[in-house]
Amino acid sequence: MNTNFERIVIIGYGKATGEILKYTDDRRADYGYTLQFIEHELHALSVTGQICEERGIPFASMPDKRELGDYLKKIQEKTLIVSASNNFLFPAALVERENITIINFHNALLPDYPGRNAPSWVIYQGEERTGITWHYVTAGVDEGNIIIQKSCEIGPDTKAYELTEVLMDLAYEGFGECFDAVLQETAAARPQGFSRERRMYRSSEIPGGGFLDLQEPTEKIYRLLRSVDYGKSGIFPPLQMEVSGARAEALRYRKIAPEKRQVGADMMYLPFEDGDLLKIKYRML
Amino acid sequence: MEEKVLEILEEYCEEALTYDGDNMMEEGVIDSFTVINIVSELEDAFDIEIDAKYVVAENFRNKEAIIELVRQLVED
Repeated sequence: MNTNFERIVIIGYGKATGEILKYTDDRRADYGYTLQFIEHELHALSVTGQICEERGIPFASMPDKRELGDYLKKIQEKTLIVSASNNFLFPAALVERENITIINFHNALLPDYPGRNAPSWVIYQGEERTGITWHYVTAGVDEGNIIIQKSCEIGPDTKAYELTEVLMDLAYEGFGECFDAVLQETAAARPQGFSRERRMYRSSEIPGGGFLDLQEPTEKIYRLLRSVDYGKSGIFPPLQMEVSGARAEALRYRKIAPEKRQVGADMMYLPFEDGDLLKIKYRML
Repeated sequence: MEEKVLEILEEYCEEALTYDGDNMMEEGVIDSFTVINIVSELEDAFDIEIDAKYVVAENFRNKEAIIELVRQLVED
């Protein structure tokens, strides 16, 4: 198999990145490129470093944006940069270089939900479907031509971290499907076709403004809780709410059957239309 | 307490019950998403808060480490 790419650089973190790293390493013999992994964001449970060590893949940790940008700009060979679960914004001076091609996995069906934390926003907005997009990277954020998309359903109880896991699996699946075409530069990429209403979601934005309005229907409250639920990753601060005229923060929540209701301190139960209850454990601030 | 922890592990990661090594994360027995589920279940079952500082590979290296983590948090 032939490619003009001499080098592949993978940047990212998490499950999809680990799988992509292994896949790309396995395909080295087919094309003869060199492979490198760069860790830009550090995560407590990350296993990408371990994968590199086991397989002898060159690994570099570059948490500093400027250092990473400068490093990539010095690359001379024809290089494919694979950005998977990566929040580093590639500078225009790099994107426009002739010898550099960058593809990025976005965790929504572009052109919808560009920007950060897309799984949260699709849950919060009550979408029933979402998916992933592999696209070429241009100077604009999440604006490049679409290489491949894969979609999935959003269940009525789906939490942000559960959806993220599904999307990561889809990202890996999609990567395998388009990898050869990208390397051989035959991928039939299509423009996104933006609408005037296109809205960019920023990292500083929190669904619901980060506040649980307990007067809202329970279904909506539940949606907001699920939309910011990434376990202990701290992507969003705990949602705040007002309890007996004072501020409190939600610690955890669960949809339960009425017979599972228990008496407990700092616990509230809100009724769903179907008779189930939303249990919220909170802490007064 | 131990029995309840094992019940939760059985539900989310049955392989953890028979794993006898000391690094479930790196050996691919358990992944970060499963850890989130287990943490959520443990918090609910024991009415404890498992702070992010405890959610590290070391505390999820095997079932004994998880049981020990819960024991400490319950006693606190």
